[in-house]
Formats: sequence, structure tokens, C-alpha cells
Amino acid sequence: MERGLYIAAAGMVAEQVRQDQIANDLANSSTPGYKADRAAQSTFGDLLVANQLTGQTVGGIDFGPQVTDVRSDLEQGPLDQTDEPLDVALEGQGFLSVQTPTGIRFTRNGQLSVDAQGRLITQAGYPVLGAAGRELAVGSGSDPTIATDGTITVGGKTAGKLAVVSLANPVKIGDTLFAGQPGVPPKDTVVRQGYLEASGVNPARAMVDMIVSLRAYEASQRVIHAIDDTLGRGIASGGPVAG
Amino acid sequence: MPDGLHAAAAGMAAQQAWLDALSNDIANVNTDGYRGTRVAFRDLVDEAGATADVATRSERQGALTESGEPLSLAIDGPGWFQVKTADGQVALTRAGTFRPDADGSIVTAGGAKLEPPIQLPKDVDPSQVRIRSDGVVEANGKELGKITLVDVPAPDGLVAAGEGLFRPTAASGAPAPVAGGVIRQGYLETSNVDMPTLMTDLMQAQRAYQLQSRALQMQDQLREIANGIRR
Repeated sequence: MERGLYIAAAGMVAEQVRQDQIANDLANSSTPGYKADRAAQSTFGDLLVANQLTGQTVGGIDFGPQVTDVRSDLEQGPLDQTDEPLDVALEGQGFLSVQTPTGIRFTRNGQLSVDAQGRLITQAGYPVLGAAGRELAVGSGSDPTIATDGTITVGGKTAGKLAVVSLANPVKIGDTLFAGQPGVPPKDTVVRQGYLEASGVNPARAMVDMIVSLRAYEASQRVIHAIDDTLGRGIASGGPVAG
Repeated sequence: MPDGLHAAAAGMAAQQAWLDALSNDIANVNTDGYRGTRVAFRDLVDEAGATADVATRSERQGALTESGEPLSLAIDGPGWFQVKTADGQVALTRAGTFRPDADGSIVTAGGAKLEPPIQLPKDVDPSQVRIRSDGVVEANGKELGKITLVDVPAPDGLVAAGEGLFRPTAASGAPAPVAGGVIRQGYLETSNVDMPTLMTDLMQAQRAYQLQSRALQMQDQLREIANGIRR
């Protein structure tokens, strides 16, 4: 077996995964509260040696890369002023709590709306939760005022308080929702009414990443050609096969 | 495995939805009482890409401009005018360009009667009509009726019916009288979208579309290179 061929092929597969992830990021360059993904590559060989022997990584042995980890970059996105009464942006590390059919999920997409029962909902139609996991009834009529600590006031009366929580091990599940373990409300998080947190995707960076990745993909393909050439020559000089 | 090709295509479709909404807004930049369209982008569940399948209406107050017409009405604050169209259905509007019809009933520019209806007596000219900020309509010291402002629990559930009218649906809830809105006679609420913002948004949507079509090309190139492994 020619090992080099497989190393190069693994390189192509890893770049394909990266390209798919970048395409997904770019598709969400206008999605409020979206967090960009970062793909981390490590080598097969390093992992195997580390797992079976001392637990430490042995350098220099390289059997080809694989994407081992795709995680969301939770960096604060820029705040866009919309002046819409039901838009909120979070400044800081917190998340809004949302009741979905599969349980409580979390989001930083504060483009909210009100349903026919007067409940505060996300654009996907899930109720936004207040303190103690209660749904927030903001009713109709005058627009609610949302204070920086998340307290909602409608027509001078307090209607509840947005449950802003910190989130451990956030995992993206679509609909700009995250799953994870909620923690205590983060102290430094400020709720801004009339703003939306823009997508965390940086188009310029994504574009550069995409080009770099494409060229790496191409280089791996060239390596396959080169190895194939070498094998071809070997076979030809060996005589009988090439005849 | 996420599929970049379809992710890019879905992203382009989402931007297309935004472009469509923006062109509708631009066409209505001078429509009195118009409320801008807002598309809601979100990433897809179980697959890569994005969607913008939900469109709602902006709830910002539009600027009030003086028209000098006695039956031009603007709402300052929350609420809608309630009207009844020729087919007997209730509709809501913020476009306050009212006029008397042949019978003297106050109707919208499109001919939908105010609900509850208000009729001007034959000898009363529109210029003699006074409409107070609470909606009471008077002519020559005589009270003719009251314009009631209404609102629905979920304005995003209203369905646009053209001519600035919106129909209540099960998703919006039934209209009910609302306090807090003030009626201004002789004024009109302009469209709540403005050209500079729309143009910036348009540019952004166009660039995002372009970027995603580049991603699509990249994905195509990847496949081309893969196909080139075997010469």
C-alpha cells in the first residue's frame, strides 16, 4: 500500500469539510445572533500515538489530517441599530432562553415577535422565557419597554424579566438556537432594546479562508498525481507490467 | 456531513428573499402609512445553509407630515384605523388619506368605509369637519361619531391586502380598541422606510449574494479538482 496516497486524500477530505463549513457561515452572513464555526485540524497519527502510549502527543509522525473539532466562535458580534421595539441584542456573554418542543434552548438572536396570545416569541414561533421558566405575556397595545437588565414594562406595568443565562458547552442546533447547560445569569450582560446582534461571520475572513483552503485542496491533489507518477515510473522501469 | 453546495444555494435563496422585500420597500418609499418589510434570517436545522422564510412588518413610527387636507389623518403612537371593504370584511390600515364618498361616508382612498361608519350630513363640507385627537368627529358643533383605534395581539400575523390594508387572521388575533394612539387631523404618516437605509441594505444583500455565489463556484472547483485525480 502506498501510504502517501492516503495521506494526501485525507488532506483533501479535511479541506472539503472546511469548505462546507465556510459555505454554511457565508450563507448565514445576515443571520442575527449567528456564530461562525471554526474547524480545527489535527493529524490521525498524532492522535493514535497519544491515545495508546503515554497520553502525550508524539510529533513528527504524520499520517494525514482530519477535522477533529468544529466549534462556534462565541465572540460578541457588532450591534445594529434597528429601532424596532421588539428587537433586543445582548452585550456580553449571556443567552436568551427559549421554550422549544424538545426542551429549553438558548439563542442570541433577539429579533422577537408577539403571537396571537400576546406571548413574546422568536421568529421560529417558540416562546421566549422569563424568570422561573415562565412565558412572557406582553399583550397588545402599547409597545413594551425593555430595560438593560431585561425587565419588560408594558404601559407602566412590569410584565416580567427576560431570562438571560450563561451557557456551558453551547452546541449549535439550527434556528439560531444553542443547546447546553444554563448557568447563573452573567453579571456583565446588558440587554439593548432596538438593536440586533449582527452575524459573527466576517465575510473578508471567510473569503480568504475559502481561497487558502481551495489551494490546499489543489495541492493535495497534485501530491496524489506526483505519487501516481512515481509509481508509474517504477512500474515502467520494472519491465514486465508495463509491457 | 454538511453540504457546502446546498448551503451556498440556500444562502443565495435567503438573500433573494431579502432583495425581493427591499425592492417592495423601495417601491413604497412614498406610500403613506406603509410599513417596511423585515425578513428573519436563521440557520437551518439538520442541514447547512440559511433561510429567510418569515417576513414581518416594521413597527417603527413613520414621520408625520402636514397635508392641510381636513380628512387626512395620522396616528401618533400604536393602533390602526379599522375599515370595512366592499366585500364586508374588516381590514386595518395606517394610511390616513380619507375622503367622503358619494353618500358622505368617510372612506379610504381605495373606498373602504370606516368601521364603525361615520357619515357627513349633506350640508357639511369636509373643510368644516373637526376631528379631535381622541377620534371624535364634529361638524359645526355637532358630534358625528368617533374613530376608534384598534390593535391586534400579534401584528406580525396580519396579512397585507394591498392599498395599505391589512387583514386580521387567526395568527394575528382579533382587533380590539387600544389606548395610547393619538389622531392628528391634517397630517399623514409617511412610509416608515427611508431611501438611504434601503440603499445600504440593498448593497449589503447584493454583496452577500455575490459572496455566496463565489462559495458556490468554489464548491464546483473542488469537485472539478477531485475529478481531475484520475487523468
